Amino acid sequence: MISDLLSMTVLVGILTSGIRLATPYLYAAIGETFGQRSGVLNLGVDGQMLLGAFAAFYVAITTGNLWLGVLSAMIIGGLMGLAMAFVTVNLHAEQGISGIGFYLFGLGLSDLLFQKLLGTVETVKGFRKVFIPVLSDLPVVGEIFFRQNILVYIAFALVPIAWFILNKTTLGLKIRAVGENPEAADSLGVSVARIRYFTIILGGTLSGVAGASLSIALLNVFQQNMTSGLGFIAVALVYFGAWRPWGVLAGALLFSLVNSLQLWIQVLGIPIPSDIAVMMPYILTILVLVATVSRVRAPSALTKSFGHDD
Amino acid sequence: MNKFRLLITGLLLVAVLLGACQAEEAAPVVEEPSVEEEAEPFKVAVVMPSSIADLAFSQSMYDALLTIQEEMGGEEAMEFVYSDGMFVVDDAAAAIRDYAAEGYNLVIAHGSQYGSSLQEIAPDFPETSFAWGTTVDTFGIANIFAYEAASDQGGYVNGVLAASLSESGVLGVVGPIETGDAKLYVDGFVAGAIATVPDIQVNVNYIGSFSDVALAAEAANTHIAAGADVLTGTAQMVVGAIGVAEESGALWFGTQASQTELAPDIVVANQVYRWDVVLNEIIDLIDAGTLGGKSFIIDLANGGEVLEFNPDFELPADVLALAEETIAGITGGAVEIGAPTFEDVFRVAVVMPSAINDLAFSQSMYDALVAIQDWMGGEGAMEFVYSDGMFVVDDAAAAIRDYAAEGFDLVIAHGSQYGSSLQEIAPDFPETSFAWGTTLDTFGIDNIFAYEAASQQGGYVNGVIAASLSESGVLGVVGPIETGDAKLYVDGFAAGAKATVPDIQVNVNYIGSFSDVALAAEAANTHVAAGADGLTGTAQMVVGAIGVAEESDAMWFGTQASQTGLAPANVVANQVYHWEVVLKDIVQSIADGTYGGTSFVIDLANGGEVMDFNSDYEIPAEVLSLAEATIQGIIDGTISINLGD
Repeated sequence: MISDLLSMTVLVGILTSGIRLATPYLYAAIGETFGQRSGVLNLGVDGQMLLGAFAAFYVAITTGNLWLGVLSAMIIGGLMGLAMAFVTVNLHAEQGISGIGFYLFGLGLSDLLFQKLLGTVETVKGFRKVFIPVLSDLPVVGEIFFRQNILVYIAFALVPIAWFILNKTTLGLKIRAVGENPEAADSLGVSVARIRYFTIILGGTLSGVAGASLSIALLNVFQQNMTSGLGFIAVALVYFGAWRPWGVLAGALLFSLVNSLQLWIQVLGIPIPSDIAVMMPYILTILVLVATVSRVRAPSALTKSFGHDD
Repeated sequence: MNKFRLLITGLLLVAVLLGACQAEEAAPVVEEPSVEEEAEPFKVAVVMPSSIADLAFSQSMYDALLTIQEEMGGEEAMEFVYSDGMFVVDDAAAAIRDYAAEGYNLVIAHGSQYGSSLQEIAPDFPETSFAWGTTVDTFGIANIFAYEAASDQGGYVNGVLAASLSESGVLGVVGPIETGDAKLYVDGFVAGAIATVPDIQVNVNYIGSFSDVALAAEAANTHIAAGADVLTGTAQMVVGAIGVAEESGALWFGTQASQTELAPDIVVANQVYRWDVVLNEIIDLIDAGTLGGKSFIIDLANGGEVLEFNPDFELPADVLALAEETIAGITGGAVEIGAPTFEDVFRVAVVMPSAINDLAFSQSMYDALVAIQDWMGGEGAMEFVYSDGMFVVDDAAAAIRDYAAEGFDLVIAHGSQYGSSLQEIAPDFPETSFAWGTTLDTFGIDNIFAYEAASQQGGYVNGVIAASLSESGVLGVVGPIETGDAKLYVDGFAAGAKATVPDIQVNVNYIGSFSDVALAAEAANTHVAAGADGLTGTAQMVVGAIGVAEESDAMWFGTQASQTGLAPANVVANQVYHWEVVLKDIVQSIADGTYGGTSFVIDLANGGEVMDFNSDYEIPAEVLSLAEATIQGIIDGTISINLGD
């Protein structure tokens, strides 16, 4: 039974599933990383994803243009980010509470729009798989990594880009400065408000794409609350990844791989109760969090509003 | 007088039968002597409010017991005693208790007025089975059966006939008290009459008594004076009214038992109750060790109600044809009889975990409510509101409490996760009826109904088809959490598949969530990677898995609602829930004044579950006929579904 897990089909299956499952987490968690590095905790990610998922789906199904769908998801996610930025930066609202508020708003609005505009669950022809020439023909590796849809590739490409922006550019330096010591950054002429607006809107935009990756690339349907709390896992992955893009990638992959492992465990009939199997990714995440969290430090100004402009 | 004569006849009958028994015992028995000697007769005792010869309610039960006795093989196999004329409830209660103490297998309290006594007595005799009616309420007590008559059906047919025959355009109805099968009959009669002659006038008079023959006669006189030329009425006091009808030359329609002999010239037709249909089922259950907890309904379809026409009355051929067409329409479901009527608009509120158009669990309830609204006569008669997407149980609990406080007649908590909240809320609103599912547990609370889906049945049929069509020999199942109707469906599917192709491999995956579409899709991918070419799944998150089935060109089998529209090329068949079957019983029960305490099940037999085949999917003829034979086998009980663990 356990030895069944070591067959090539199963290993390839676990890895391809893991990659797919990790995709929405990557978009959302990378976006959230920018926000948190600048000192803003956005718990509204799941709501942004839902609106993004709906916008992408609706636009794709009515226009037939998938990229227009992605763009709409980015715009609506960005607008949600803008609202979040206004509430937390200008109005100095408590970040955690306002994030939950935006989550509920996104959940409710996406459902309302779904009911009014679509009325029933439908499917759409989403992004097809793109076989990368040469690479996709490689044994095993090709099947796992190079036969995915375009939004999967972009998600993974975001990781080094985010790392580069945060660590190698002036913009990244400003973001980190604002997150660590907004007073100091402010005194050096960095606009804390502007940086935070930028990161929160960017985060919203990426959350929107995360939703789109579900509704028009991976699943090709929209259903009410289809993210089912995935956005909250993404927020946890930012902590898990110690606010670093590569750490977030590791966390997303670990969580997703354990999830696909438990799917295979059940399919292969390995006698572990399903209730236990589905707990595995969460238990593992908690264990890793406990093991790592003491060694890393959160951005000092995380969740703290900056009161310069009043 | 009549009663005395029957008593003597009864005693003589007993004496003769006893003699016959002795004679038979004395005779040498060659074959299977042990069985004959050891079999104890099945002993039944009945308490009835009126005389066994009342030509109405009590007689219908007495006749049924005689029929049963004959069917079971006479006095040796089944013996029964009765106390009739027990219109004083205290006396009846004493009789019920005595019978139970004397060790009768089944004690029948034939009258809804005996309910509260029975509720006290039954728990003291856990080894005795009790039955009472007419009601659908078992009080949630394990050794009480309940029985009810869908008397609206025969009432409707009578109404159609009455309206067709009336020349004055006025009909008169004499009822006892506005409750139980009497109210049902009257409402059915009115509906049938109006459906046939829309502007007919139906005057209804409830006289407030089951026994006041004089007042019933006076009510009939009043109807005649008001221009009625056709009368009907229900319960034992109507004999007075029948006399008046005869004198005035008005036509009469009977119910409960045949009343033709009372006035052969004017009785047109009778709805006759055949309680033996229910009693047979109850006795079978008792033999199998189940002493109660279920409710039964007699109707035209199951033969528990029979329309008996008076052969001496010359019914015009076209009217007879109309009556027969109406009966066929009711049994076939084409004629919908008026639902019970309420003084105010009947208001229903529902709390559901997902969207009303989830193509699954919540949608099945929403669709049913739309059907019920239609059945009850549109928004003017019934209105409903809903809170969908209530996957957070605390929010749902708040909504349930609000709806109850706002005075809704029925509040439905559509999700087993709401159970513990409901258990706390319901006792605070004793005037509100609650329903929840899927479960059979009413918590023993008087104002909670429970409903469940026998989803293993459609699961089994899907499994049979899937195994027949699978080429790879591997099937994949995506479930939410291993509980409730999801587990039933999954286990039924596996059982059906294995019964058809014993070495088929059925891989089951519970993803631990009702809403995680992405994980459901990945589970489906995993199944396909593991070789599955046929997939199924239950709960609302499976829309993700259906997409995968479409992409991978695998077959999909749906449940709860029809999912054909999502992947018309891949969906083979769906088990579709029709909760309206249960909701009708619940509404009826509320109309009768019972707010809960009963549980209901939808299945293939009662039409609450329907197999919906995708007409665009070419199912080979032999597989389709196998599927249909399987459905029939499940309905008639020749196929029993073994759910393994």
